[in-house]
Amino acid sequence: MAETIIEIEQLTKVFYTDEIETHALSGVHMQIQRGEYVAMSGPSGCGKSTLLSIIGLLDTPTSGRYQLNGKEVANLNFSDRSRIRNQEIGFIFQSFNLIGDLTVAENVELPLTYRSGMPVAERKKRVQESLERVNMAHRMRHYPAQLSGGQQQRVAVARALAGSPSILLADEPTGNLDSKNGEAVMQLLKELHDEGATICMVTHDPRFAAHAERQIHLFDGKVVAEGELSHLMAEV
Amino acid sequence: MNRLVQDIKFALRQLRKSPGFTITAIVTLALGIGANAAIFTLVHAVLLKNLPVSDPKLLVRVGDTDDCCVEGGVPDQRDYSIFAFELYQHLRENTPEFESLAAMQAGVGYAGVTARSNKPGDLPRAERGEVVTGNYFQVLGLQPYAGRLILPSDDVQGAPMGVVMSYQAWQRDYASDPSVVGSTFVLNTYPVTILGITPPSFYGDRMTSAPPDFYIPMVMEPNFGPGNPTSLLHRRDANWLYLLGKIKPGTDLKQLEAKMSASLRNYLATLPLYQRQDRQADLAGAHVVLTPGGAGIENMQQEYGVGLKMLITVSALVLLIACANIANLMLVRGMARRAETSIRMALGAQRARLIRQMLTESVVLSCLGGLAGLLVAYAGTKVLLAMAFPHAQSLPIEATPSLVVLGFAFALSLLTGLIFGVAPAWVTSHSQPADALRGSNRTTSDRSGWLQRSLVILQAALSLILLVGAGLMAKSLSKLENQDFGVVTQNRVVVHFSPESAGYKQEQLQGLYDKIINDLHALPGVDKAALSLYTPLEGNNWGEGVYIQGRPEPGAQAKNGASWLRVGPEYFDIVGHRVLRGRGITAQDTATSLPVVVVNEAFVKKFFSNGENPLGAHFGISGMESVGDWEIVGVVSDIKYNDLRRPTRAMYFRPLLQVAHTKSQTDTRSLYAGAIMLTTKGQVGNLESQVRRTLANINPNLTVVDYNTFEAQVRGQFDQERMIARLTLMFSLLALMLAAVGLYGVTAYSVARRTPEIGVRMALGAGRGNVVAMVMREAMLQAIIGLAIGIPAAWLCVRLVQSQLYNVGGHDAMVMTGSVLVLTIAALLAGLIPAQRAASTDPVKALRTE
Repeated sequence: MAETIIEIEQLTKVFYTDEIETHALSGVHMQIQRGEYVAMSGPSGCGKSTLLSIIGLLDTPTSGRYQLNGKEVANLNFSDRSRIRNQEIGFIFQSFNLIGDLTVAENVELPLTYRSGMPVAERKKRVQESLERVNMAHRMRHYPAQLSGGQQQRVAVARALAGSPSILLADEPTGNLDSKNGEAVMQLLKELHDEGATICMVTHDPRFAAHAERQIHLFDGKVVAEGELSHLMAEV
Repeated sequence: MNRLVQDIKFALRQLRKSPGFTITAIVTLALGIGANAAIFTLVHAVLLKNLPVSDPKLLVRVGDTDDCCVEGGVPDQRDYSIFAFELYQHLRENTPEFESLAAMQAGVGYAGVTARSNKPGDLPRAERGEVVTGNYFQVLGLQPYAGRLILPSDDVQGAPMGVVMSYQAWQRDYASDPSVVGSTFVLNTYPVTILGITPPSFYGDRMTSAPPDFYIPMVMEPNFGPGNPTSLLHRRDANWLYLLGKIKPGTDLKQLEAKMSASLRNYLATLPLYQRQDRQADLAGAHVVLTPGGAGIENMQQEYGVGLKMLITVSALVLLIACANIANLMLVRGMARRAETSIRMALGAQRARLIRQMLTESVVLSCLGGLAGLLVAYAGTKVLLAMAFPHAQSLPIEATPSLVVLGFAFALSLLTGLIFGVAPAWVTSHSQPADALRGSNRTTSDRSGWLQRSLVILQAALSLILLVGAGLMAKSLSKLENQDFGVVTQNRVVVHFSPESAGYKQEQLQGLYDKIINDLHALPGVDKAALSLYTPLEGNNWGEGVYIQGRPEPGAQAKNGASWLRVGPEYFDIVGHRVLRGRGITAQDTATSLPVVVVNEAFVKKFFSNGENPLGAHFGISGMESVGDWEIVGVVSDIKYNDLRRPTRAMYFRPLLQVAHTKSQTDTRSLYAGAIMLTTKGQVGNLESQVRRTLANINPNLTVVDYNTFEAQVRGQFDQERMIARLTLMFSLLALMLAAVGLYGVTAYSVARRTPEIGVRMALGAGRGNVVAMVMREAMLQAIIGLAIGIPAAWLCVRLVQSQLYNVGGHDAMVMTGSVLVLTIAALLAGLIPAQRAASTDPVKALRTE
């Protein structure tokens, strides 16, 4: 039986701006099993980025339950969320978000430096392995500005992998790439999934969503459709 | 011209658009420029300003030291700066290179003149008089405000007695009454005519906080003393005049100096002092130094020069720090305006054009700061004057900015604008338009640039130098103030007066002194009362060479000098001298009793260093023939009377009215007591008016020249040190504040620009502590580099102020550690605020910013 990594029930998120209440998420239910590749899609403002932020422990829900690896994480304090985020979650951003003043290797090492007790040799080993995994080890002493967009995103993927997280969260990972580089990154994610990685990706491009084995479609803060791509296509 | 106007208009519009930045910059500049302008006002008045005379460039002073007020013997370095009247005449007659050479009294101290107008009911006033030669005003080329000034014809025997009143005294004491001119005043009991009033801008031939009220012809000097034998005018062995002359155009000063030195030696060779074999080297080395006389006698310049130069350096450093701050703000602004700059460049603007626009903005800003700085300068100058001259009656220094100060402030504003504007202008004009127009980058790299960080490092280094300087000054002042002078000041009052000016003859003094002491004792609350020639720490000193009975005659180079004064009974108790051996001065020590002296411990150490018993020993001050003049009957504890930075001088104390057997005619001038000291039982209300009334009841001409508590008199010794220490401290705190604000600004800016990066780091698992540590590391790195530069720089710089310190080593570890600590704490605080802000960043929002 597959192990559930993420289990969300009745999750809501309300933003308050002056006197206006915006319900970004309204009673979301979802589960992600270990080794799954899930794509979240939906129109702009549907709440998919908010949901990803909550899953990534960057944000907290207004109400509802959220269990990560069987532990309740919805109402953790900032410090605990930071620790869990560092150990359990790997982020891949649309705009790569590499730190320009750090080399490729230092960027990949960055999340490991926030873990107490990891020996330097272990960190270096993981950096090397991660970069090798994305075929960027030869550029480890370069700075991000010296790389192409596709290369930068591969480094970002290596950074996300370095900490051996339970799940990779990718927010429009191809949004800033041309189609060729976009395809290459998607191929990389597919390979990672094939090797056992759990991936949750936000995208609005059906071509890239097709890479996932399951899709969740959001609309107005609710999951309106969920299933394998072929079923969804049929429903549509 | 049109472009300039356009640039200025645009600059003003830009400044109006960012009021926060504009106000911060203007306030910072106002403080920096204002502080500099205030100090410059003082520097200009004291060090740079000429006397308001017709041709200051032709004025030459004969002499270069501030020796004062009556001196005999060989001057230090054999360098003559004050002269006897006869020597003055000799020099004048032998130097036709001078169009005219004038002489004036060196010491215009407490013993002034008592002046009473002919107005019915007018009371006598204690005023200050300066004896000058008849050509004095001609040399200075002054025109009278009213009446006429002293002429050579007024300075001859038999001429009607006439004096000139100063414009300030005329205004202050006689309400600018025109009838004063030509009227008869009683000066020291002598009727004199007021010939005229000096011009308003003239405050005397030297910068002083108490300029003369009357200018008295030299020939009248004996009338203003107690009689011919003690007059200084005809004493060949007493030097008491400064010389100031107007040279003929084209005169070679070096040749004239050599000629006057030779002439000086010719005269000195006729004096008994220089006829001794062991004085021939002194005679051969005797010389004068000619110095520019446009600023008059530069005593205050010598006294305040070093301190003022130090303050102008300190205030310039503060301005430099302020410039660094504004430059940083401008850089930030420049970054924010990159897009605008890029558009301009895309539209074809040349770099030079952009730099000019940016510089115009800087200069407009600095000029606005300069204008605001004038207000700071006005207020600052007032504070400075109150600190530097707390007891000033008339000062030739106006707090209102003069044209020179206005010019200085304007020039400084322009310079400041260029200094802080040039780097931002250069950096902004070199931004890459394509990059800026492209918008956000795909990597998060927006740390503050090296230039900004360098400016903060510079600020930290300069602040440390100033903090160390201020710490050393404060420690020095504290050591000076808290040293044991030996005096007791609580419930003590000092009253200066002049029986000499009131017209008393020598034979009347015993009766007068008895009457004064009895009447003051009778005042309620007065416990003790004593008369003395002068008092501790008032700036007066009488000194002579000592010749001890039974010892060989001291050689020419022997250090046998000692200070002395006459004191009455109870004086030792009042001042704080403890009688250690023998006895003090008592009421039985009268003019006719056995001549005795009491000496201090320093005297015993100096002259009885082999453990001999000083009690019963005899000595005199008029050569070997005088060794039996006085017997030592007591030893008292040491008290510092003069230079607080030096050990206590050897001193001896004589009864008020005993005259030495040897050369008694030269010993009578000191019979006139100059001060009364009182001890009170706690606070006594209206004591000053009671004392004034008591003296006036004895004789209306017995006016109080000065009334002060002893504590205030002692405290007054530190006015200059206190002013410098306070100002240095004030400036260093201002510098520290500016540096902290600078560090805060750069760190806050860096945090703001790095928000996306911080968001990424948080997304990757960085905790708040990690973020705070990251921001603080960067902030503290700048502070640490600043310290690394500042510590050796401060160690080098303190050498420049070493001469101003008392008992404090230039390399004081405590001060250095304290300064480093203060700067570190300031840097920590400045970094902590943005660091906390960074730590509270919401990662979701931060990532959205990207």
